[in-house]
Amino acid sequence: MKRGLLPLALMTVLIVALGAYTNAHHSVFLGRQNLNSLLIEAMPLILVSMGQAVALLVGGFDVSVAALMTMVVVTASFTLTPTTSGFALVSGSLALVGVGIATGLFNALLIRVFRLPSIVATLGTLSVLQGASLWLRSYPQGAINTDVTSALISGVGFVPLAFIGVVLLAVLADVWLYRTRSGLALRSVGLDETSSRRLGMPTGRVIVLAFVACSVMASIGGFYLAAEVQVGSPIIGNQALYSIAAAVLGGASLAGGRGSFFGTLLAAFFLTEIDNVLPLFQQPTEYADMTIGALILLALLLYQSPELLARLRSARERVDPAKAPAS
Amino acid sequence: MSIPGPVSPDVLSVRGLSKAFGAVQALRDVSVDCRAGEIHALVGENGSGKSTLLGIASGFLAPDEGSVEIGGRRLARHSPAAARRLGLGIAYQDYSHVLDLSVAENIFLAVPAGARPHYGQMHGWAEETLRSFNLDLPVTAPTGSLSLAERQLLEVAKALLTRPKVLLLDEPTTALGPDAVERLHALVLERARAGVAIVYVSHRLPEVLAVANRVTVLRDGVGQGTFETASVSEEALVALMIGRPLTVAFPERRVLPGDAEVVLEVSGLRGERFGPIDLVVRRGEIVGIAGAEGNGQIPFLRALAGVERAAGEATCAGARLDMRSPLGPLRAGVVLLSGDRRGEALFPVLSVRANATIQVLRRLARAGIVPRGRERRAIAELVQRLRVRMGSMEQPVQSLSGGNQQKVSLIRPFLRGDVKVILAEEPTQGVDVGARFDIYDALRSKADDGVATVVKSSDPLELAGICDRVVVMSRGRIVEEIPRHELGERRIVEAIVGARPGAVREGATA
Repeated sequence: MKRGLLPLALMTVLIVALGAYTNAHHSVFLGRQNLNSLLIEAMPLILVSMGQAVALLVGGFDVSVAALMTMVVVTASFTLTPTTSGFALVSGSLALVGVGIATGLFNALLIRVFRLPSIVATLGTLSVLQGASLWLRSYPQGAINTDVTSALISGVGFVPLAFIGVVLLAVLADVWLYRTRSGLALRSVGLDETSSRRLGMPTGRVIVLAFVACSVMASIGGFYLAAEVQVGSPIIGNQALYSIAAAVLGGASLAGGRGSFFGTLLAAFFLTEIDNVLPLFQQPTEYADMTIGALILLALLLYQSPELLARLRSARERVDPAKAPAS
Repeated sequence: MSIPGPVSPDVLSVRGLSKAFGAVQALRDVSVDCRAGEIHALVGENGSGKSTLLGIASGFLAPDEGSVEIGGRRLARHSPAAARRLGLGIAYQDYSHVLDLSVAENIFLAVPAGARPHYGQMHGWAEETLRSFNLDLPVTAPTGSLSLAERQLLEVAKALLTRPKVLLLDEPTTALGPDAVERLHALVLERARAGVAIVYVSHRLPEVLAVANRVTVLRDGVGQGTFETASVSEEALVALMIGRPLTVAFPERRVLPGDAEVVLEVSGLRGERFGPIDLVVRRGEIVGIAGAEGNGQIPFLRALAGVERAAGEATCAGARLDMRSPLGPLRAGVVLLSGDRRGEALFPVLSVRANATIQVLRRLARAGIVPRGRERRAIAELVQRLRVRMGSMEQPVQSLSGGNQQKVSLIRPFLRGDVKVILAEEPTQGVDVGARFDIYDALRSKADDGVATVVKSSDPLELAGICDRVVVMSRGRIVEEIPRHELGERRIVEAIVGARPGAVREGATA
């Protein structure tokens, strides 16, 4: 568990350090207004990254999440128009989640039934969804119902209710993952599918559910993207690689079986924070990409360091004759 | 061919199983049944279909034809979960451990929902559970940190935890020393007395026959009959397994000249888990290393090959051996035949040809290019001499049986003319009877060419049959040396038992 806490600690330190440094130069940063918009801004990435963490936990990738979020925004411009009201709002919202469930099932079908590697399967889905979004809206058009979008971002003080909800969700999800049998089963399937199947676990069902959960989380992230742009834009979603980055910075292993939802949340918030502060320093956004890339490499090295150190230490002990059994 | 016996119900009944993998017919119309309280041995060479049969019975594989009944109920869906629900437990040959999870978590996942403790009480419960099997394992450690023998015992324990009516054991003793095998057998017999039907797959005939009531023989995926073990001889079973009477015996040993030159000399070698060790091996000599598992035999061999770090000295043909990396011993003509064939010795996806010639490509090359014809000619004779059974030289090594894989790794020292020492770690582990003798012949003929050989084996019969001398290791040190005229299976086993930790003799020669 110690190894699992390292990403959480690192992300917390980085968030606080960057915030403190920025605030020292631009006191507007810690203002209620900016904090509020920062938290709202972070919602789409937090939600999709937590979904991505589920896919990574079972040893897969989902690169179709950003295209799915775009598709959700475009669909919202049809099902949640400014004139929609009453029950149609509910069914319109459910339609968006339905798009997510359908996408997740489609990905799972490609991966489990047709045995495609998840990265290839979801790359195909990405193209299909991208094309479909452009077919429905060839340019940003179709306003999205503002009753819905303002409800999404309502809050107490400067903290959006949704942010509180997502923090609770992340904590509960981590407790589930590391303190219950079904959470252990999910990690077990990600670590070793063959052994898990031999132990009688429904590995196929676990993996299908994981990809559906990933897509559903992405589609909920799509709601918040819709709240941000408020129009049916077919070119909005670009969170695929960021979501993988956030999950990995939050402690997920690309080999499956390891990860933390709360760590992912912190990492997603941190990545948004970088995007948020760069304009304050009048820095071009390209720097954000380079910074994030360098940070991922550094973080991975740091997370590996206990093993690296142990290996070095045992290698040194082994050649030291004084440590060998006495004659 | 059913035998009239005590009337007890069949708890496991497989009927008319057929299964093909691509062009290979792994099973053809095989039927086996196992009664309550019976230990039913399933024997056959590698590739005869034993593991496929267990795979189908346990729901892991779906048959092309045929049915499986467990406790009188037909296995309708072919999934391990369904078979477990009907009361089947299985210990897989290659285990069902999730190596990155702790021992406790693995045990937790292995038991059915009703028998599970609260998640938070897992550790204490796991310790208690292991104690009931007389297993002393660290429950919080990752399962991957256990030794192979410990993993094997844990696998059997996990299978028993499901309180099965039918227990399938697939080669449960490959990594176990004689005393652990005895403990396992006591456990198995106790369960049989409690009414569990047990199917026991093993290639160690004497071992499995010692506990089994009946035995079924498989050859090339076809059942060769079921017999009462009391009424059938080992020779007859071997003849059924290999389809011909077993006339081959251990290769003949020449008398070593007393002044044969020393090729390998080890002095004061010590590492993390063994030492200090002194050992001299002469030209043409095969020295066996015996001992209970985990007493430093393997680390010692690996240190000599430069794979594991050690301090101390060794010379090969008079020259000091540089053991800081595998490169030094390799260049000096010291070859390790690793027991981990797939992981260390072979490139599983490469062809037989590529695996055999990989160390001598430079010699075979013409102007930097390796003509394929030259490669094939170089190994054609060796492939025949070692009797490698394969479709073609271009076949990936992973598609061969274990014994034939081992023969491919043996081609290498034959191809290199300059080999002086062969270090063989469990050279016949997982190898079928017929192929074993081919491997013994190969090792002996290399010795007759002047190579000094060290063989680490957990099979005392094998050591007695092929070695000129056997040393017994305990707690990382050589505690006894058995000269050639005393060699025998019994003598070696006695030495191992006597050399068990806690019973080390005073005055044993080091």
